[in-house]
Amino acid sequence: MEYLLETDNITKKYGNLTAVDHVTIKLQRGEIYGLIGRNGAGKTTLLKMLAGLAKPTEGTYTIFGESQKNTAKLRDRIGVLIESPGLFPNLSAFDNMKIKALTLGMNDDAFLRELLNDVGLSDVEKRKVKRFSMGMKQRLGIAMSLVGHPDLLLLDEPINGLDPQGIVEVRELIERLSKERNITILISSHILEELSKIATRYGIIHNGQLIDEFTHQELLKRCSERIEIRPSDPTRAVTVIEGMGITEFKVIDNSIIQIFERLDDSGDIVLELAKNNIKTLSVAVKNEALEDYYLSITGGAKA
Amino acid sequence: MFNLIKMNLYRMVHAVSTWVLAIVAVFLAFLDFGIMKIMVDDPFKLFGSASSQMLGTTTITGRTTIAGFLISSDILIVLSIFVVIFANAEQKNGFDKNIIGITKMKWKHTVARWLSCVIGLTAIVAVSYGLYFGLSALFMNSFAMGSVAAYLKVLATVYFGLVAFSAIFFFFTTLFRSSVGGIVASLVMSLGVLSLLEKLLDFAVKKIFTSPKILPTDLLFDSAYINFDATSATTKACLIMAGISLAYIVLSVGGSALLQQKRDVK
Repeated sequence: MEYLLETDNITKKYGNLTAVDHVTIKLQRGEIYGLIGRNGAGKTTLLKMLAGLAKPTEGTYTIFGESQKNTAKLRDRIGVLIESPGLFPNLSAFDNMKIKALTLGMNDDAFLRELLNDVGLSDVEKRKVKRFSMGMKQRLGIAMSLVGHPDLLLLDEPINGLDPQGIVEVRELIERLSKERNITILISSHILEELSKIATRYGIIHNGQLIDEFTHQELLKRCSERIEIRPSDPTRAVTVIEGMGITEFKVIDNSIIQIFERLDDSGDIVLELAKNNIKTLSVAVKNEALEDYYLSITGGAKA
Repeated sequence: MFNLIKMNLYRMVHAVSTWVLAIVAVFLAFLDFGIMKIMVDDPFKLFGSASSQMLGTTTITGRTTIAGFLISSDILIVLSIFVVIFANAEQKNGFDKNIIGITKMKWKHTVARWLSCVIGLTAIVAVSYGLYFGLSALFMNSFAMGSVAAYLKVLATVYFGLVAFSAIFFFFTTLFRSSVGGIVASLVMSLGVLSLLEKLLDFAVKKIFTSPKILPTDLLFDSAYINFDATSATTKACLIMAGISLAYIVLSVGGSALLQQKRDVK
């Protein structure tokens, strides 16, 4: 199988510190690969090497089928957002975009405005970036990474420092880019729960080493993502849920019902309970197990 | 390379600091002209009758305007701040992460940035010195242009020296990856602190060799520049100064490019 991006035992050392330790990952075209790790795990260093901002100490990588030595000519097909968005605070959003475009030899202002519109910043294109919120800066950073019509996006902690609304906006934007533009995305985060909502495949990096890789389906299996409902009448609620054809569920402490299938149908379940005069006291898609799983394999498991 | 220069110039034109420093340079042109005008044409105001006779006899030539404005610490400080701020802005704001990876050769970013600095510096010098020269020619009672050929020769030499200064400031900024480091280094040079230390070297050389033909300050750029006598420089002196400038440009820009090529982007 041909991969869009492939690393082979890529390693980066700073003196005695091994920031990235023989990491091998493979990305297929169109997938969203979530790189998960704690702060200092080696995510940023790995992405910097792939972005051409740092040289590997050992190992190599191929991008678009070209070996590391030949990737320079393909760099304009890679969009990057490493750590915080690098922006000139005293320039406007449009000017920041323009500077990136000029570097690439592009002179299409209409396209830049289209990108700003795509990330919801068209109304503030003339506003200086120093007056932007963190979320707006992140969205501008993503828009800038799209200037060269990239086929591959390397996004390092794009939801870092965002409020819940900002996280939702950036997540939706990344999903849209993947679907509408068929861009392959390598996204890193230390928040597993957020990545689990968008990534199709995951790699867990810890102390510079890639310690696990799995698909979204495998993650769901491993972590038992579930809907948790607290109905006013659990006994009758079970009958209603069975009546909906749901079989994978269990009742905890005779008060909470955990449902392990049809995870996107929580609204329908609540509606059906309401039709049967059963009040829903609380409903949530629980992911704690996801974090527990992550902690267990990175050596920080709860007792 | 052309795209990188275009990008840098766009950034320069849209940066507030460029315009602020250009305005300061213009202000200095007025200030320096005003001081010279009083000193030369009306010294009584400044010095009283005792020293007026000596100062009052000075004639301002085209070459004097070069010595009075371009080889002065104040314009050099303005230009050094301009170079340091511009050279460090990409790294300081993290913008370099967006663009360094795009180019095949990272060193091209450095060379393009420095060339853009030179274009900006040339514009600031042209406007401010042009103004200083124009005011001198129009309003100085004792202005006499003198030999145009000699004037152009010295002007070209001093301009080349300023370009060399920009390369050195640029190198220190690249080396320290910091505006503060670059500005401290440039102030040490612009204010002549370094040249004082270099004079100690001269002293040591004179102690060792009875009559040395060449002293360290003859070859060290900042001393050579500050000691360059624009009013009476011969063609040979101009060529030596240009040669020293060229050597420092090659070393500084080459060193900066090498640092960029070898270093990871932070």
